[in-house]
Amino acid sequence: MKKIRVSLLILALCILSLPIVSFARDVAPIVDTAWVETNINNPKVVVVDIRKVEDYKAGHIPNAVNAFYGSWAMMKGGLRNELPAADDLFDVIGGAGIGNDSIVVLVGKTDAVPDRTDITRVAWTLKYTGITNVAILDGGYNKWVADKKAVSTGAVRPKAKSYQAKVNEGLFAKKDHVMKSIGKAVIVDVREPDFYKGVKKLEFVAKAGHIAKAVNLPTSQMYKQDGTYKDKAELMNIASAAVGKDMAKEIITYCDTGKVCTAWSFMMTELMGYKDVKVYDGSTEEWTKDPQAPFEQ
Amino acid sequence: MYKAFLVDKALIGKDIHFEESCSSCHKGNEKGPTRAAAHKGLVARPSKSMEACEKCHDNITGPFKTALHYTSEGQRHGVAGRLSKGELKVFNEKVFEQSCRSCHASCGDCHVKAPVIGGVNTGLLKGHRFVKRDEGKTCALCHGGRVYPEFTGEYGGAADIHYQKGMICVDCHKKGELHGDSAAPYMLRKEVKERPRCTNCHKAGEEKTELAQTSHKSHNGKVSCYGCHSGGPYRNCYDCHLGTGATSKPGFILGLNPRDKKTVTTLRVIPTVRDTFKSAGIAMEQFDKLPNYWDSAPHNIRKRTERTRSCELCHNEKKNFLTKDALLKNGSKANEGLAYTPKPIKK
Repeated sequence: MKKIRVSLLILALCILSLPIVSFARDVAPIVDTAWVETNINNPKVVVVDIRKVEDYKAGHIPNAVNAFYGSWAMMKGGLRNELPAADDLFDVIGGAGIGNDSIVVLVGKTDAVPDRTDITRVAWTLKYTGITNVAILDGGYNKWVADKKAVSTGAVRPKAKSYQAKVNEGLFAKKDHVMKSIGKAVIVDVREPDFYKGVKKLEFVAKAGHIAKAVNLPTSQMYKQDGTYKDKAELMNIASAAVGKDMAKEIITYCDTGKVCTAWSFMMTELMGYKDVKVYDGSTEEWTKDPQAPFEQ
Repeated sequence: MYKAFLVDKALIGKDIHFEESCSSCHKGNEKGPTRAAAHKGLVARPSKSMEACEKCHDNITGPFKTALHYTSEGQRHGVAGRLSKGELKVFNEKVFEQSCRSCHASCGDCHVKAPVIGGVNTGLLKGHRFVKRDEGKTCALCHGGRVYPEFTGEYGGAADIHYQKGMICVDCHKKGELHGDSAAPYMLRKEVKERPRCTNCHKAGEEKTELAQTSHKSHNGKVSCYGCHSGGPYRNCYDCHLGTGATSKPGFILGLNPRDKKTVTTLRVIPTVRDTFKSAGIAMEQFDKLPNYWDSAPHNIRKRTERTRSCELCHNEKKNFLTKDALLKNGSKANEGLAYTPKPIKK
């Protein structure tokens, strides 16, 4: 009984701390189309459309600039979705007209889970490069169009700025760190259950299964049918059932390439208040190439 | 009268081309009562001969008839140097007209309907609207093996900086180049007067940093822009045989430009091997006259690359340079002059 009371107290404290997380930023981590429509002319707001150049030019949110997904993540050393060099990232950020005090709203397509997680991967990369005020347009460009909001064609030429910052290496975990953290941190496999259980695997992943002792928290559980996010309480319930309610515990998320896992990582830190969430960038693509890396079904 | 419309009715009033009837381009019989009767004599691809387009656009169709996209002459030229006169005649009949020429593009392939590649037909660009440009549905399909995926980063590595900044094909490859110009006919794209050059936009001496200015000055005339600014591996094709095709793999090769042996540049392996046209009875008597590596312009340009970040990579480690030992086995003798060893930096 005493244990239950303590747990409830911790949970209450965690919930109470959530608004503080939101207040630490100038914008909520998820914004809707009405918010974007209202703030579209705010000079501090930079709406960044990460879709392919061709799609952006065919139609985009008025005033939105384009910095397509490939500017933020690339194939490197035989691994997909790796970070570009910091100076290249700074050029992309400055080139998009983003400064340290900007409020960045990310827009992408939301047809499928991999598209939706393009957006959170960019959000995570922006956090890595020191941008605090990063928000995601709920439902992406699909929702903007579905809500019959105004659309522009052609390209917006951003007013480029010079951007420099100290990168936050602590947001990404390397393989050695993950190896040492087995049994200590909560390691979260965000792939669908068949991939976690080893029933299925992607072609470029050497083995089926999951990192030893990892828990499963499928990314698809985050979204409603229309590609928008479930509400905060529901997301909190789903996440805490898998990773627990200790907000200070180290959590390491992974998927197959380090992209999809950014969705839970971003929401756990920015919406729910988990303090120490890292993304294992190499994910199973790197892990399964190492015969010494513990992997189980 | 047989009535079935492929074109959206709402479009008809919006596009001047529809002031003409369907049959003015597609022929057939507008009064035919059945599908079969209406379609008798139908021309599915009216711009193939350009007869329909030249009625109004003869200023474009005239030069275009000599442009490389229409003639496919570049493909013939790339092989012709390896053939004797007699072999060229056989090549023209059995290979060029049957195979290479099927790739040529005409007006409609860029302005109305996406080209059919490998049997995949993605259909009209915008419901039969006549569009000025839609590179993602046109250029991207024909050039989807090498150029386009390298440009967008989908082949692996970072995307070309120009794409990243929102530029697409026609931003550099202007209509003068694509439609042909007064200097045409051309035999290969390197001859095209209006082709883009890096220096059209990036003038020497206007670099933002001293380091860039010094590097450009010291490498001027010795290394092509691609030599330093190509971002990483690009597709190289190997071992092509008529009817079965080639294999490919990523690679990054630096060596002497076969067209200008004073300059180091990025070389791309081309898949022609000694028995490529064996099944057509062509032995390629002069195979050794042309190399298997050609100077290439990989569309994966980056401001910073591992070579712009480190002089040591080329001048000390000699990374990616073609060596005599690494030349293709049983390749052309002309390959031998392309290997290059960079000199150490004088300190």
